[in-house]
Amino acid sequence: MAALSFSASAGEALVLGLATGPVCLATCGPVVVPWMLVQPQGVRGHSRQLFLFLAARLAGYLVFACAVWLVGSAIPHAIPHAWTGRSWLMGGIQVLLAAALVVYAAGWPHRRCVVAKTTSALVRIGETSVPKRSGALALGFLTGINLCPPFLVAGVRAAQLAHLSAALLFFVCFFAGTAVWFLPFLSMGFVQRTPAVVTVARMVAVLLACWYGFSGVSILIERTIYG
Amino acid sequence: MASRSSALVRPPAFRGVGRSILLTLPIALWSLLMFTPSFRQAGRDRQIGALMVILFMTSLFFLMMRTGETYRWRRIFFVALGFLFPFGFIAALIAERGTMSIPISRMVSGDTPFCFMVTPSLLLPAAFARTIIFPGSILPTASNPHSIAIMIGIWFAMTLVLGKAWCSYACFFGGIEEGFAAIAKRRRLHRFISRFGAQLRLIPWAILVFVVLASAAFFEPVYCMWLCPFKAVTEFPAVRNLTTAIQMGVFVALFIGLVVVLPFLTRKRTQCGFFCPFGAFQSLFNKINLFEIRFNREKCVDCTLCQTSCPTVALSKESIRDGKTLLNCMKCGACVDACKKDAAVWHLKGTPVAVKPERARLLFLYGAWALATMFGGSVLANSVATMIHWLPWK
Repeated sequence: MAALSFSASAGEALVLGLATGPVCLATCGPVVVPWMLVQPQGVRGHSRQLFLFLAARLAGYLVFACAVWLVGSAIPHAIPHAWTGRSWLMGGIQVLLAAALVVYAAGWPHRRCVVAKTTSALVRIGETSVPKRSGALALGFLTGINLCPPFLVAGVRAAQLAHLSAALLFFVCFFAGTAVWFLPFLSMGFVQRTPAVVTVARMVAVLLACWYGFSGVSILIERTIYG
Repeated sequence: MASRSSALVRPPAFRGVGRSILLTLPIALWSLLMFTPSFRQAGRDRQIGALMVILFMTSLFFLMMRTGETYRWRRIFFVALGFLFPFGFIAALIAERGTMSIPISRMVSGDTPFCFMVTPSLLLPAAFARTIIFPGSILPTASNPHSIAIMIGIWFAMTLVLGKAWCSYACFFGGIEEGFAAIAKRRRLHRFISRFGAQLRLIPWAILVFVVLASAAFFEPVYCMWLCPFKAVTEFPAVRNLTTAIQMGVFVALFIGLVVVLPFLTRKRTQCGFFCPFGAFQSLFNKINLFEIRFNREKCVDCTLCQTSCPTVALSKESIRDGKTLLNCMKCGACVDACKKDAAVWHLKGTPVAVKPERARLLFLYGAWALATMFGGSVLANSVATMIHWLPWK
């Protein structure tokens, strides 16, 4: 009976992930697209980066699963309205995402060293020697704990489960469902890496960082003022 | 003395009067056809407005045929469209709701008129979640005839014919900055633009990707809500809190900076060339469009007059060397008119370059001007009718 409910909840999580995957894709797209575009061309390298990104995202999911299960019934079902900590978390994550995008996708502090070493403007634009592994891990983890609508639905369901292992399994299956939708990002390995593409990707990363930064700071200020 | 007298000699007309009239005849008939419903309507204001627009559009086309110049005459139409559209639009808003701001009730009921600029932002949310993230209605209603389906249909049909030339013959915003660019006597900041032109040209692409991704992630039309400079002269969300005040500040700052000050300083269409994400999106359609500008390398002397005259920095030394424009060319004809060696020519894809370029120009202009008359002309006629309606002695 227990095994049946275990498999039923796993199936539910998988279907939830598959069904809400496009929303996850849209939520994570602003981070993944500029990040992948600044990587060197090639499907193999991109597969590695995407794998690391998804692994870090899974780690973020599991951390969240533990947190929601531990808090358990303390979190009411209507999380978005009742749980005020959500705003602090969202604001903080968005500010961190902004910083991570600037550092890893736009390659800001690292790029200054590159500029000092090189003389040609074209070399500077085409330069992709930003830290790769740590970037994929940081961005993956932050998007993993970013509270998007499907993630909240999964969180509410996991909080209702009896065992921690069930909550973790629920999130693993949910992750598997959503991860399928990330496979099309592999096709970005085929996009030709001209200096223009890399420059545009870096500009996009900076714009998105500004956007996330503004959004995160707004949430934090609003929460500070209104409680 | 000799040089002064030669300067006073008028250049020979490109075509005779009779031939020019003959070539203008299809456009005159098309204009009459387009505005026939206006003559059937009650109200002399609309009839006068329609008549004036018919004469205006037909005269400009005649001058294009007679002089062989495109840019100068197109610019008159385009600037008129740019300045009269906000006039008519604001007048309609004031008459209907008493304010330029959009009431929340109208957004909720889907009565916001659709603007083509938001089109790229709709794609991902529509594909992923089957949701249109714009507070308008898909099909026309009595209170909102400018529905999403109608406007996208018009845009798509015109884009198939015009490609990126939409930005020179149909966009009712670009004319404002073209007007400010035209009144400047000196060209300033040209060193900055020539040095950083390659990077500046990429900004619209970055904004396009940003707007598309952010709109999908946050499920809101990010460009309309935060980045559209033309909100300052059309409609905007009512300023009720800090967020809407910041939004309004951004709109006004972008409008003054990109549409007024920078075009005046640089004599370039800075918003179109260095900011507009819809322009970048529209550039993609240049790939499938039949018409383009090419350079005859045998005649070109690399004087860069064409590059200097281009209002959107759609030419680089490398592209001229390759005999082509860049992807963001909006076919305004400025480079062709500026070229003293006739090296810049209109070209119909699939035909030899520089063989009968005038035929390619004619074919392009018939399509472009017919659509400009239909779309921009109706906007002009409406604005002129509003002006006549408001005349103090009426």
